[in-house]
Amino acid sequence: MSSREKYTPGAATGAEVRKAGDRWTLVLVRELRHPPAKVWQALTEPAQLREWAPFDADRNLDATGPVKLSTVGTPAPHVSETSVKRAEAPRLLEYSWGGNDIRWELEPLGNGTRLTLWHNIDRRYVSMGAAGWHICFDVLDRFLAGHPIGRIVAGDAMKVGWQRLNAEYAGQFGIDATTPVQQRDRRKSP
Amino acid sequence: MKIKVTSIYVNDQKKALQFYTDVLGFVKKADFTQGPFRWLTVASPEEPDGTELQLALNDNPAARAYQHAMFEQGKPAAMFYVDDVQREYNRMKPLAAEFTMPPTKVTGSTIAMLNDTCGNLVQIITLDRWQS
Repeated sequence: MSSREKYTPGAATGAEVRKAGDRWTLVLVRELRHPPAKVWQALTEPAQLREWAPFDADRNLDATGPVKLSTVGTPAPHVSETSVKRAEAPRLLEYSWGGNDIRWELEPLGNGTRLTLWHNIDRRYVSMGAAGWHICFDVLDRFLAGHPIGRIVAGDAMKVGWQRLNAEYAGQFGIDATTPVQQRDRRKSP
Repeated sequence: MKIKVTSIYVNDQKKALQFYTDVLGFVKKADFTQGPFRWLTVASPEEPDGTELQLALNDNPAARAYQHAMFEQGKPAAMFYVDDVQREYNRMKPLAAEFTMPPTKVTGSTIAMLNDTCGNLVQIITLDRWQS
């Protein structure tokens, strides 16, 4: 069995939602055993993004300016023309994707990095986003450690425990994680 | 092989969800997002595990041209079976549904056509052979 097949995400942790009225921001923190310079490359280089990120980039993200990001794992790649707003290696990276802002902050932590992601994802999808990023971060961690298992996004994430993570994060955020399908099934049950 | 989902292009997914649920009466079935991509489907409350209709954002210029031409020609982009077209017409009229064709008897069926507010005409149909 390959390490990819053995992968199962751990419990939901390291996430919080900051609410400012209707604008919610998902904040995720992950401690990595690799220095900021190495993590920065994984966050910016297209070849490294392909190992773990839910999108592909048409250029290195380490400079401000226009960039095309393509979704991965959707029925057809959805290409959005967006831009890198801030790129201050190796500590701050900011760009938008799908109309939402994504900001990465890298802080040295011993020999490693405390990685923080701010994502002002639509409130309806906030627990889904937390679950998706959780799995991406696990895959990133293995990639950085030299044991890549290949990115796990979209349909692949559904197979490895994304639903459980979604429910756990929704519980932590105090929101309802149920999809319409589950709501209907719950009504049907006695 | 099964037909579990079919798609309709819409120029606004939020407006589409409103029309297909509040006006037509379908229920939301799946709603997931990945960056700019949103997978959104509805199903019939009478057949919740039946075929889903994907409300796909039309961001493809070729598809937009096709959609526009079909609309201009008065061709429906989708067809939904109902028990009684006249009853559905009476129900939807007060919901500000814009019918481009009122209930009309044609060979073997009764049809009506309405604007889905997202770039399409949709037809509702009752087959004569379905009526008791």
